[in-house]
Order: sequence, then C-alpha cells, then structure tokens
Amino acid sequence: MAEVYLNALSAQRIGYLSTRQSLIAGNVSNANTPGFKALDLKPFAAALQETAMTMAVTNPAHLTPTAQELDPPKPREGDDANATVSGNSVDLENEMVKLGEVNRDYSMATGVKKIFHQMMMQALK
Amino acid sequence: MATNDGLRASLQIAGAGLQTQATRLRIVSENIANAQSTATVSGGDPYARQTISFENALDRAAGVSLVKVKQIGRDSTPFRVEQDPGNPAADANGFVKLPNVDVLTELADLREANRSYEANLQVAKQSSDLMNQTVAMLKDV
Repeated sequence: MAEVYLNALSAQRIGYLSTRQSLIAGNVSNANTPGFKALDLKPFAAALQETAMTMAVTNPAHLTPTAQELDPPKPREGDDANATVSGNSVDLENEMVKLGEVNRDYSMATGVKKIFHQMMMQALK
Repeated sequence: MATNDGLRASLQIAGAGLQTQATRLRIVSENIANAQSTATVSGGDPYARQTISFENALDRAAGVSLVKVKQIGRDSTPFRVEQDPGNPAADANGFVKLPNVDVLTELADLREANRSYEANLQVAKQSSDLMNQTVAMLKDV
C-alpha cells in the first residue's frame, strides 16, 4: 500500500477549504448581484491530482502566478438553468449546504493536524 | 501586500455583503416610510421610489472582490394620480400625484434582503468559527 502523507495532506486540505470558504462567502454576498455566476472549486481529490504548471523564473523580479491564478475557479456546469432574470445563478440553499460541508471537513482536517502536533510534542517531552 | 488568507477574505466578503444588504434595508424602509409623501407645492412631484443595485468589484486594499452598492436610483414608473382637491399638493384640476411606491413590493424586497442578510451572517459566523478551530489546534499540546 502506498504511503499516505497525512500531515502534509491535512495542511493542503486546510488551504483548499479556506479558499472554498471564501468562494462561498463571495457567492452568498453576491446573491443579489445582477449577472453574477456562482463559483466553486473542483473536488479536492481532482485538485490534488493535477500538477499546476508554473512559469520558469529567470529573474527574481519575475512575478509567478499562483496555482489559483493559473486555474481560476469556474462556474459549475448547468448552473445557468437556475439563473434568475437578472442572470444571477446563486442558490442560497446550496451555498448553505456547502458551508456545512466545509465546516465538517475543516474540523476533520484540523483534528488530524492536531494529532500530529500531539505526537510531535510527545516525542519532544 | 494583500492578504491571501481565505478565511480572512471570507470574513471581509461576508462583511461587505452585510453592509450592502443593510443599505438595501435602509432604502426599503425609506420607501415604505414615504409611501404617502406628496409634494409640498401645488401640482409638484411626490416622493419617487428609490431603487438599489449591487456589483462585485475588486477591493484593492483587501485584495479580494467585495460586493458593493452600484447605484441608488429613482424608479421612473409614473406616479399614481388621485382626485383630491382638498389636498395642499393638488394641482389646478384637483389631482394629486402620489408616490409610485407599492408597499407589497417593498415588503417582498424586505423579506429577500432579510434572507440574504441572514445568509451572510451565517458565513461570517462560520468563518470566525473556522479561525477559532485553527487556533484551537495549539491548545492542550
């Protein structure tokens, strides 16, 4: 069985979830903005599989785009069907469900991280 | 340097959402309060219903896109006209122009603003909750 680097994975998970939380916040706050399309990240597993290609830096002054900028979050497929007359595709109920998901997953990730913390502290004591 | 922290950004975004919805509530309450406000001069125009629209714009200080009030406009729907010669605002023919405010529409808008406000509040609460969970990782080790 392949090794699972849980400590690093939980850190990535926390980063992923906080980005997702900010997208949900953006969707909810724009629930009444005309023409706004609801955004979401691709599932964590899919995001993890893909290696983001970054540009080569030959000069320290070069700006490198982050993975987020290279692959910005997109509106989900099929959301246009739910769009209102103003072209807004935010579904508040759906966003609340996603909020619950993020909350649970975040608790899980911080829980895992905390256990690694405790293990390290045990080794130090 | 703008912060890239998702949770901090979430709090700011939800805060902006709360602010815009609060402004919307203010506009609705002004409309309802002025539903009977006629002109002070004979034959003048009464209170015109106010409208509000939002947009999502990049806030350079915060480094994230925040929702903000795009425009507070005036509804150009024609005013209701009523025959009431005794009214100080009546014109020479005894017609009074009444505001183009429909209280039922305003109440529906009030409900929607309330619902959006609650949703933003929920996001803000959860964002700070997640931050607390992050800090709590350092507890009892």
